[in-house]
Amino acid sequence: MLDGLSFELLMAIVASMAPVLCFGLIMVFTRRSISASVTVGIIGSFLSWFASLYLFLHYFHAEEAVVFKGAWVVSASLKIPFGYYFDPHSLLMLMIVATISLVIQIYSIGYMAGDPGKSRYYAFLCLFSWSMINLVIAPGLLQLYIFWELVGVSSYLLIGFYFEKWSASEAGKKAFVMTRAGDIGFFIGIIILMLTTGHLSIAVFGNAAEVGNTGLSQALLTLSAILIFSGAVGKSAQFPLLTWLPDAMEGPTPVSALLHSATMVAAGVYLVSRIFPFYAASSTAMMVVLIIGTITMLLSSTMAMTARDIKQVWAFSTISQLGFMFMGLGAGAYFAGVFHLTTHAFFKALLFLCAGVFIHHFETNDFFEMSKAGARKMLIPMITVTIGVAALSGIPPFSGFFSKEAIMAGLAHKGNIWLIAGLLGAAMTAYYSFRVIFVMWFPKGEVEEHGHGHEGGHDDGHGGGRWAWVTEWSMLSVLLILGAITLVLGFFQKELEHFLTGHSAEHHGSQLILVLALGCALAGVILAWFEFGAKNAKQEGFLSRMKSVEALFSNRWYMDHAYRKLLDYVVYGGITNTFTRNDRVIIDGGIDGLCRFTVSLGRAVSRIQSGLLQYNLYLTFLVVALMGLYFLLV
Amino acid sequence: MLNQVILFLPELFFLFMALVLFGLTVASGEPKPRRDYHTALVLSAIGAVITLGSIGAEGHLFFKAYRLDLFSQLFKCFLGFGLFLVICISSKLDGIAERHHPEFYLFLTTSTLGMMLLVSAVELITLFVALELSSYSLYILVPMRKGSDHDSEAGIKFFFIGAMASATMLFGMSYIYGVCHTTYLAEIMTTLPQLIHTPGAVVGMVLTLCGLFFKLAVFPFHNWAPDVYEGGANQVVAFVATVSKMAGMAILIRLVALTGGDSTYLMNVLIILAIVGMTLGNLVAIKQKDFKRLLAYSSIAHAGYVLLGILSMSEIGYASVIYYALAYLILNVACFMVLVTMSEKGQNVKIDDFSGLYKRAPLLAVTLLLGVFGLAGLPPTGGFTGKFLIFIAAIEKGYLWLVIFAMVNVTISLYYYIGVVKAAYLNPPAEGSEPIRISIPLRLLNYALIIVILWLGLYPSTLFDQAKIAAEAVLAVL
Repeated sequence: MLDGLSFELLMAIVASMAPVLCFGLIMVFTRRSISASVTVGIIGSFLSWFASLYLFLHYFHAEEAVVFKGAWVVSASLKIPFGYYFDPHSLLMLMIVATISLVIQIYSIGYMAGDPGKSRYYAFLCLFSWSMINLVIAPGLLQLYIFWELVGVSSYLLIGFYFEKWSASEAGKKAFVMTRAGDIGFFIGIIILMLTTGHLSIAVFGNAAEVGNTGLSQALLTLSAILIFSGAVGKSAQFPLLTWLPDAMEGPTPVSALLHSATMVAAGVYLVSRIFPFYAASSTAMMVVLIIGTITMLLSSTMAMTARDIKQVWAFSTISQLGFMFMGLGAGAYFAGVFHLTTHAFFKALLFLCAGVFIHHFETNDFFEMSKAGARKMLIPMITVTIGVAALSGIPPFSGFFSKEAIMAGLAHKGNIWLIAGLLGAAMTAYYSFRVIFVMWFPKGEVEEHGHGHEGGHDDGHGGGRWAWVTEWSMLSVLLILGAITLVLGFFQKELEHFLTGHSAEHHGSQLILVLALGCALAGVILAWFEFGAKNAKQEGFLSRMKSVEALFSNRWYMDHAYRKLLDYVVYGGITNTFTRNDRVIIDGGIDGLCRFTVSLGRAVSRIQSGLLQYNLYLTFLVVALMGLYFLLV
Repeated sequence: MLNQVILFLPELFFLFMALVLFGLTVASGEPKPRRDYHTALVLSAIGAVITLGSIGAEGHLFFKAYRLDLFSQLFKCFLGFGLFLVICISSKLDGIAERHHPEFYLFLTTSTLGMMLLVSAVELITLFVALELSSYSLYILVPMRKGSDHDSEAGIKFFFIGAMASATMLFGMSYIYGVCHTTYLAEIMTTLPQLIHTPGAVVGMVLTLCGLFFKLAVFPFHNWAPDVYEGGANQVVAFVATVSKMAGMAILIRLVALTGGDSTYLMNVLIILAIVGMTLGNLVAIKQKDFKRLLAYSSIAHAGYVLLGILSMSEIGYASVIYYALAYLILNVACFMVLVTMSEKGQNVKIDDFSGLYKRAPLLAVTLLLGVFGLAGLPPTGGFTGKFLIFIAAIEKGYLWLVIFAMVNVTISLYYYIGVVKAAYLNPPAEGSEPIRISIPLRLLNYALIIVILWLGLYPSTLFDQAKIAAEAVLAVL
């Protein structure tokens, strides 16, 4: 099917298929034995990661995209390829996805210790990695779409992992339905492209010259671009489909880290950047991307400012950072968007995993309580979470600073209003993220020390005495690795840019923007310091003095209420009702009538079919005679 | 000389097989059904392999009255495997008295031999003789069932209608000879298209086709089917429903291709017969309680679908019919295998008898499900792909309305097909019914059928490409 089996192709197959093989192995064979399942899962991810690394290094200097593909459906006007497509962008993303998947699996050894459903958990993780990897290296939009949906399915399974918990299964459902809502648009967009251009190859839509050659009219191009973007809106939790993501925190924390850093939600950004030239060909579509990104970024930043649940804060910050990436892409800064996607993947995974350590240890999600319980005594997680927050807020020299700066430059290029929105967002980001850090470093009020005795008993309950260090270090080592990546990644900006775009621009924007961005971030940090960090700070945000605004923010701008109302009145009350009635009366009734008619017709006709031989022959030759008669008449 | 023997090897082998079986019929002593069964099974397996090996053979024999091309060899292979499959499901041959078992196998073989000659015959007299050889064997097989008088009635009816059809066919052939002054199809093919608007040619063609319509149970020569299906022994009916139908389709393609596709009159006649046939078959099938009778009416409807592919008179149309023929063979064998395994003492099986089959024999239930859904044309079975290809061929020729009509018919047919599935899966087993034991070879046959049904449904391209080449061979000037 694929042309010629080379070593590279073999590696590509390993990278893409190892996880699904592990999924099958775990589900079929090792489900009973947790340790076997964990081993299988980690070996599979490691193989996949190793193969990805090989491909990444092997093709690092490749001049052109490398394609392995076989045709799945070919007809005169339609070609749908399946296989692998390696260009710098997909290689980079493949590397990120494989790395994050691997470290999450290692981390989960500790985090999920003692959970009876661990085998199932690892199987789902493998399924998820498989879907995501194949999404990333898809050569055509249809394959991308298929794995896009598989990502949706496996995320549903992972978010609803604690399915015995009502809120978790509801959250899984919500995530699935909301992302599916966007996918409808995505699929229609694909169909439009398929019908008008006859192919769905990324090689075409990812190349500016080819996009011009497809003969797509400007109106159709804009329409399909916006429709496809609606899929990205759902998957990347952009306005107005953003409320599923905070709820999705119901899943195990490593899952949140996996889904909400590098993989599932990043898929939306990846999709837009993948066919960026296609978007760039329509200024209207770019504007839509920019506007949606800006609204989302600002909205979700405000939401993060009032949350007390540490995972919720990171969830809102994920949404806002994704919005920020879309802003970058919408402003035409392709590299800046992708670069921020890369840095964000690592520091956001880091933040979630740090949060996971705290949650695992203190068994609460509220960072005020963690602080009181003595979170600052846990040095490694505290330091790494601080690194992550610094990167998130755009403080130099952490990786987030470089990528944010690049986006700011792009925004400034587009217009001052966008730059101001971006700066505002940066200030809010710094404020809410340092709020968390200051609260955790500087507990106020009575501090109930988390005794060592309790801690020991806790560990025994999970990992078991002799293996406690495995449990602990599987988590801590991952934090250190990610922390290190966060520290250094920013300095590779030029190399990455050269890798992705083939050239590296010498300068990004002016000194002024740099100063402005830093100033805004510092302003946020300082505000947070006075409210939460300083000695006599009351640890109450300025928002608590404006009750109505605080209520608005903490209720997520009442978006969930609006959706509930919409569902109750329009969907359940209106559409469902009408359709049910239509189904019962018109369709059921009509079909019943039709069936009765057909059956009675059958009875009537079968009466002609008598067993009498003479009669049969008579009938036969009557028909033959009629044929002759017909011939005479014509 | 040796070369010609090799070309004729499949037919020679089946002749040899017939001789061996003939030896068994005259052997004295107690009837030994297992010995007969195993002899026939092994011989037919070898035969199937030989036909498979003979694919690709090309050439002419017997003063060019006999032609080997991909078309004929492909069908010979289908026939060989069809016979093998029918013999496979004959291990429980309760419907026929034990002392008649060798004869049963003998006449199956001669009938298959006749059909093999038929698909290669390119001369009218040869064609007729081959047709009669296969038909006469069937005339003997049908009344062979032991017990009731019902079967002799079926046999007589079958014979009478068959004889009338043969007479009509001969009459038609004489017209064709009169018009074209030759009995060789190759020459007819060059002259007939120019004469196709003359009354003699058309009447000759239509009357000749009547003989084949009988074989395929196309309306109005369908009257024998319900009675023969109901009255014949299960295995005999399986043979009639599968192998014999396949030969009918093959020769129908061969003869219709002669006309060059230029006669609107012939076209209209075929359209009308297709429409009436499928509607009549489907409507009457709804009412049936006996599974074999239901399959009989469904086969009348299927003959209508086949006509749809044939009247496209295009390469794709013929290729799709070839594909459909194979799918139809496999699906019917699947249904009959379940029927034979379920039937007690070779009795007929009512649809209600399938109740609770999924509990009594889950594997059989799956095979039945796939077989019946395949006949109904649901994906991912071979039946779906076959119908799909036929409909595409018809649409390409501009018969959209005809395809829509056929679709409506397919929907009607779903009603009775799903009735069978419903009985097997939703109805509880009857009181006191026991699980059905399935022997290991039968189990393997089940798996093989399931795989082939799905394979035909999902990966049609390999076989369809072969079918297209075979169709080209038919259309090429003979």
